[in-house]
Amino acid sequence: MTAATLAMQPAPRVVLQYRDVRKLYGDFVALSGVSMEVERGQVVCLIGPSGSGKSTLLRCTNALETLDGGELLFDGVPLPRDPASIRKVRQRMGMVFQNFELFPHKTAIQNVMMGPSTVLGLSEQQSRARAEALLVKVGLSDKAGNYPANLSGGQQQRVAIARALAMEPEVMLFDEPTSALDPETIGEVLNVMKALADDGMTMVVVTHEMTFARRVADHVVVFESGQIIEQGPPAQIFDAPIQARTRDFLGHLGWDA
Amino acid sequence: MNLDWTIIPASAGALARGALITIALTVLTMAIAVPCGIGVAMLRESRLRPVALLATCFVELFRNLPIILVVYWAFYVMPVVFGIAFSPFITGLVALSLNNTAYNSETFRSGIKSIRKGQTEAALALGMSEAQAFRKIVLPQAWRRVLPVLATTWVTLFKDTSLVSVIAVGDLAHTAMQIRSQSFRVIEMLTAMAAIYWLLGYPQAKIADWIHKKFGVTE
Amino acid sequence: MDFNYDPVLQSWRFLLDGLQVTLLLSGGVAACSLILGTLVGLARRYGPQWLRVVLVFYIDSMRAIPVLVVLVWIYFALPAITGWNLPPFWSALFALSFHLAAYVAEVIRAGIESVRPGQVRAGLALGMSGPQIVRKIVLPQAIVRMMPAFGSLLSLAIKDTAIAAVIAVPELMRRADAVAGQSYAPVEVFSTVMIIYFLIIFPVTRAVDMVYKRIAFLGRS
Ligand SMILES: Nc1ncnc2c1ncn2[C@@H]1O[C@H](COP(=O)(O)OP(=O)(O)OP(=O)(O)O)[C@@H](O)[C@H]1O
Ligand SMILES: [Mg+2]
Repeated sequence: MTAATLAMQPAPRVVLQYRDVRKLYGDFVALSGVSMEVERGQVVCLIGPSGSGKSTLLRCTNALETLDGGELLFDGVPLPRDPASIRKVRQRMGMVFQNFELFPHKTAIQNVMMGPSTVLGLSEQQSRARAEALLVKVGLSDKAGNYPANLSGGQQQRVAIARALAMEPEVMLFDEPTSALDPETIGEVLNVMKALADDGMTMVVVTHEMTFARRVADHVVVFESGQIIEQGPPAQIFDAPIQARTRDFLGHLGWDA
Repeated sequence: MNLDWTIIPASAGALARGALITIALTVLTMAIAVPCGIGVAMLRESRLRPVALLATCFVELFRNLPIILVVYWAFYVMPVVFGIAFSPFITGLVALSLNNTAYNSETFRSGIKSIRKGQTEAALALGMSEAQAFRKIVLPQAWRRVLPVLATTWVTLFKDTSLVSVIAVGDLAHTAMQIRSQSFRVIEMLTAMAAIYWLLGYPQAKIADWIHKKFGVTE
Repeated sequence: MDFNYDPVLQSWRFLLDGLQVTLLLSGGVAACSLILGTLVGLARRYGPQWLRVVLVFYIDSMRAIPVLVVLVWIYFALPAITGWNLPPFWSALFALSFHLAAYVAEVIRAGIESVRPGQVRAGLALGMSGPQIVRKIVLPQAIVRMMPAFGSLLSLAIKDTAIAAVIAVPELMRRADAVAGQSYAPVEVFSTVMIIYFLIIFPVTRAVDMVYKRIAFLGRS
């Protein structure tokens, strides 16, 4: 490639850059040197066996954990360490948890309004308008007044997605968003996520839903024992994995490469 | 203010005797109220409606009364009902036992209820008898729930024994107050009384905490 | 057995006034111990280390010393030391609240600790600050979850007021004792007063349970 063609190509906008990221829990090495990148508008799926460090990586990304080594750049800037700046960073990322973690004492719409009203300082009216629009987007405008206890798992998770979106984040982090769901409600959550991806949202998704990863991801990362064993486009990972261990992992899930 | 702490060593013997009575009251009450509590809990599950109802009334009544009132009540009512006079110690023991039986029966009942029905069903499905399922599956699990509550009840009971002092049981509180009114060493005596209760009660509270940590089930 | 309820009937006004004092003292103790206990519980959980040590000592001491002992110490010994003479009602309010607040503090702490850590993480992920998370997420849930415990503390507050009879607060128990002593019908007097106490305390316990059953889901994450 010549210098000229390089200059003509819009530089790929890397939103998240992981450089040799390490994380320890006591003596236990949860992440041992992870390097990867997430570009703007990309959907990156993290797959791998249980305990391989996928959730740990997401929590590090959102500064819910501190790194023990390496670097994590968000928009080219290393994650800050002081609480106030960390909060600023978190406001630009949305996070969705395996167990939803909706606030049980708030209705669906109040859950969605929580971020805008307490963190962004929007008025009651503004945050309500924003929350209503988001509930429409996740298909739950008729459940706005329900408490989480009166919502199905799939509905709770869609509210949780709306709650994260209400901060208008630049990146969405999903930690096994469908693992706690009944099979028949998994689809409704994945559809919402697919729609988000189609809108161009940057997403990092830890998932065991291989069909989703294959169909929606731009980039798939395979974890094992705190390390990346293989990464690449879904076609490579699912159809022609280079590493035998990737093939083993997919084989265990009943996926024939 | 002139304080004369020599009153404390001078009354050491009496105070020690009072402390012993306090401890004896605690131990004896618990020794009565645990089996009685189990009994009342079983009566509440009785198939005979009047029996179950009566047991429920007993529990609800004594759980919802000030203990000091029960002490007075026992003091006046027991001689009338039984036609003979009882020593203050026995009267106090009865009052505390009534109260703690009611509490313990609730503890046992909710402990057993907290074990999911699925556990019994699983045991029955293995071919165990109802009795076996209760003894081998339900009781050991219920025990973990019951023990921490009993420990808390124990500490509460230890403190509540001080209330029988109003009918002149020679317990620690009564003894100390007696000496106070005879010697007029108010500050010294009352402070000593609080200190002795603290010395006795503090380790018990800590042991209760430990039992909660060790056996407590968090949901 | 012959029962003679005349003394009870003749002194009903006297006993009713006692009931008023009992209710007033109960309300006062409940309110004061709730406020003090909440402050202590929060400071114990979130305060600086030295304060926590002091508060743990206070809480554990109150769990070890009978409320009667605290009461007589504050009524008899404290004035002798400080020279302030508090009337019996105020001594009782102070002593009973001081004792009960330790239990309130423990309940508050247990409530806070029982809120799942995931809830805090969810708040952090939204970019909320520590105090915001405590105020808007943790405390509301903790309070709901602790309602049954608060219910028993409320009934304990009412029961404790009867102990104030020992320092001659003219509440129901004290007046019952007086009527019983003058008349020759202590059985009738104490049985009647027993029913009165039951009729106050039982509905309180029940009402708290019922309310809790209806709102328990607000604290269940
Ligand atoms: N707070 C912690 N303290 C100690 N060890 C931890 C902690 N959190 C995670 N671990 C350990 O780190 C390892 C990686 O955990 P992580 O949750 O990231 O795995 P995962 O890939 O998300 O697995 P799963 O698919 O089960 O969610 C696990 O072995 C786990 O036991
Ligand atoms: Mg995980």
